[in-house]
Amino acid sequence: MTTTAVNTAISDPRSPTPDSRRRELELLFLTMFSAVPLYATQAISAPSLLAFHAMLLAIAARVALGKGPEAIPPMVMRGLAIAYVPFYIVDAALISRSAIAASTHLVLFIAAYQPIESVRTRNTAQRLLTASLIFTASVATSTHIAILPFVVLFGFLLLRQLMHLSHEETAGMTGLPAYEPPSGGAAAFYVCGALLIGILLFPLLPRIRNPLLPGMAGPLNNATTGLSDSINLNEPRSISSDTSVISRVWMGPETIPFFTPLRLKGTVYERFTNNTWMQGRRDFVQLDNSDGTTQVALPEGFTRKASVQQRFPMGSRLFLPVGTYEVSGAGQLAEGPTRDIFTVWQLHRDTIAYDVALAHDTKPRRLQRVTVSNYPVTPAVRAMAQQIAGSETDPMRQAEAIEKYLSTRFRYVPDPARIGHTMTVDQFLLRDHRGHCEYFAAGMVALMTALNTPARIVGGFYGGTLNPLSGYFVVRNEDAHAWVEVWDGNKWKTFDPTPVSLRPGNTQDGLVRAYAVALADVVNYFWDRHILTYGLGDQIALAIDMIDRFRLAGTAANLALHRPITRNLGTLIGALLAAGFAAVVLSRRRRTLYDHLADHLRRLGIEVGPAMTMSEALDELQCTHPAAALELEPLIKLYEAERFSGRAEKGRAARIRRRLVESR
Amino acid sequence: MSNIDTSVTSEHPAATWQFDGVVRLTRVGTSFVIFTVVIGFAAINTGNNSLYIGLSFMLGCLLLSGLASKGGLKHLVVKLDGIDEAWAMRPAHGRLRVINRSRIWNVRDVIVTSAELAEPICIPLIERRGEIVAHALFRFRRRGLAQLSRVDLYTRYPFGFFLKKRRARLSGDVVVFPRLLDEDVVRDRFLLVEGDLQSTNRIGGGTEIHSFRDYVRGDSLRRVHWKKSASVGRWIIKQNEVEANRSVHIIVDPFRPDDVSEETFEEMISEAATFLDDALRGGLQIALSIPQVTFHSDRDSDAAMFRALALLGATRQPVAQTMERDSVIFSVAPGVGSRVWGVGA
Repeated sequence: MTTTAVNTAISDPRSPTPDSRRRELELLFLTMFSAVPLYATQAISAPSLLAFHAMLLAIAARVALGKGPEAIPPMVMRGLAIAYVPFYIVDAALISRSAIAASTHLVLFIAAYQPIESVRTRNTAQRLLTASLIFTASVATSTHIAILPFVVLFGFLLLRQLMHLSHEETAGMTGLPAYEPPSGGAAAFYVCGALLIGILLFPLLPRIRNPLLPGMAGPLNNATTGLSDSINLNEPRSISSDTSVISRVWMGPETIPFFTPLRLKGTVYERFTNNTWMQGRRDFVQLDNSDGTTQVALPEGFTRKASVQQRFPMGSRLFLPVGTYEVSGAGQLAEGPTRDIFTVWQLHRDTIAYDVALAHDTKPRRLQRVTVSNYPVTPAVRAMAQQIAGSETDPMRQAEAIEKYLSTRFRYVPDPARIGHTMTVDQFLLRDHRGHCEYFAAGMVALMTALNTPARIVGGFYGGTLNPLSGYFVVRNEDAHAWVEVWDGNKWKTFDPTPVSLRPGNTQDGLVRAYAVALADVVNYFWDRHILTYGLGDQIALAIDMIDRFRLAGTAANLALHRPITRNLGTLIGALLAAGFAAVVLSRRRRTLYDHLADHLRRLGIEVGPAMTMSEALDELQCTHPAAALELEPLIKLYEAERFSGRAEKGRAARIRRRLVESR
Repeated sequence: MSNIDTSVTSEHPAATWQFDGVVRLTRVGTSFVIFTVVIGFAAINTGNNSLYIGLSFMLGCLLLSGLASKGGLKHLVVKLDGIDEAWAMRPAHGRLRVINRSRIWNVRDVIVTSAELAEPICIPLIERRGEIVAHALFRFRRRGLAQLSRVDLYTRYPFGFFLKKRRARLSGDVVVFPRLLDEDVVRDRFLLVEGDLQSTNRIGGGTEIHSFRDYVRGDSLRRVHWKKSASVGRWIIKQNEVEANRSVHIIVDPFRPDDVSEETFEEMISEAATFLDDALRGGLQIALSIPQVTFHSDRDSDAAMFRALALLGATRQPVAQTMERDSVIFSVAPGVGSRVWGVGA
């Protein structure tokens, strides 16, 4: 045990005082830091953020040089503050066109104003509150795991400032100068503690969305896609190597051989207009979801299960694995905007997890009127199609021949920009013989149209990467792909004329890089699945899981108890535990001397408060019932001796109890 | 004759931040709680788990704040480490030992207050399993045996959300010497009496026998007059005449009639103590008699005499005390209040 002497009661001029300049700089840094994530989340425009940081940097520079924080004269700043009131309305209505963005601008202005105002009034607490507001806006608009280090660092700086503020106010209460010991270690300790408690609380906090203000929640559209609503071949096409994760798919070992490589279907292009492939009709049909499961097709052949977690890069559209006939856990679904494409009816989040049932083949849920594409087939293309099909009359055989022809005779160009010019589908088929997946798919649809067989282009994602650490397929934005579906008279069959080795998702990485990417994705997955999309369903699942575990444990214990040895041992342990528990309960329920005395005093009209000693209660009693106080005084002295003297005396407690009973 | 001003307690009034109870939410704490409620509402309404992260962290901070302040204060033990001479209504320097028995929590920014402390003590840091010796200024209102029974410990630590209080038991007895009068007017009252001190024929440490009295506990056996004791059948003490004329015999009569207030009695004790103090400072040889015992400055310490005055209680019955010529007697009487008079003066 260390002993330190401190002399605080007498003002000591040699006592070091807190370094106000360092504190002020730290507070300014905290305020600036709170807005940094806003650059990434783009919740507000960058110029306003830059102006905010420039202002605070100017103030910090002045403070560092030993000057006051008045980078702008306070009078001017106050004038600006008054002028900001009408500006806020203009900002919300015309400039930002968003009340949230305008409010964030306002808070940033306040945060820049407060350091200047701090010369006149002590406003550390208000400044901390403002910084917290800004940081909350940053956190609320962020969906990436990278926000976590920001949370930890901000928490550390905030707690340090709060501890300093607490110390200042304590010193102010006593009017004494007091030396503040270093608080960095303590702040780190408390941040760890608060995070630990926060982690335990996070899954338990109630997830009841929109109990009061329905409609406030909305998706956070931060993901981009390689897909689009149309394939416009009049404009140069480009492919970006965007590694944003679009979807993660779990398939058991019994599923993988039959449903890989993965194809996640997101769009269907059926109409051709002006060298542009468009989606079909645009309407939505709500699907039955009465039992939590939605049937999206009719299964044929063997079936398997899979689980999907996906983001929403295109509205609320689902990217279902090809072969999906049933979806559960995604909520209310609608078919649209075109047939065989499905969307979530009411979307409240930016990521969703659901289960799918896969079948070897699927038929449309209802009868479809299928027609041949409206692609204007030229004689040259028709001749080419007939040449490829040869004597085959079966549309599927013809499709296989065309698929094989294109994938072996045509050259895949991963980057369309390298071709250097735009081209039509006819030019791709007849002249260039090279292009990217959209040309291959469009070319095949054109050839099938020439053969009078209904075909359509399907947009979505292909392949993905099997994560060796977690066992799921990760599908990224760069895996965007286009392939073909051909109508066989009963159902749509999938064909892919793009050369297999050059399809997206087939790039080879080094082992270390592959594992590093896999590890990063596992972390990202955890963040997406268990943090960002954690909801009421997960809470229920967690509760059910816990109940199941208890039940299993109970069953196992029951089985074990039927063995004679374990039964006897269990009985013995159970009896010991029960005895111990009973002893603890009885000892706790036994009323203490304090309780007896407090009861006695209560009967005499004295309420013994939580911060009141028995001697004080006796003093009060002396004012109201002097005679009773005189009688009780020796008992209280005995009680205090029993409770505090540290010298045990046999029978003293019993004597007090007895005399208390007698005094009643 | 003025009464002792008992309102001097207002010199150390309870500060506005002191309160009865256990915990109080501070201004910063109120703001934080409101902010947490707002974030909680936003999180629940939007289902935004990023906000839930913030909410969890904030709730964690609140919970930790309560745990840290309670856990810290709970394990603090305060002991009186020592105190210098304590005079009523005068600051006395002392030391409080504050021990942190917690294995987990360092405790910071602890304020120690008590009715006996002249001003609160602020302790910046007490590390876990460590202790601090804090220098404190005590101020006691009355003479006598003061029992330090409790101190109040306050802290806003760690984040200033709550002002938490714990009443700690403190065991320590302090003998508080009587109040010394500062006012010149009051001291002037003793000047006449002091002038009389120059006469001879007073009890002292000389060789000539001045008078006899009964033996009381504490008297030296060397002063027993054996011959007279044998004749009367009990021990008789001889009292010698003082050799130097700068000596004084102070007698304090503890008899307080019913119609004399306690304040008047206390004022008389203060006057006696002031007189004794002045006499000691003046280098006089002093004999202080209270019932049953007489102190002599040449063989008893000053502190012993003041301690005797500190602990002297009022009696309801008159007490017989041997008075000598030129004794200075302090007593109280109905309608007169405290009075000082000298035998043979």
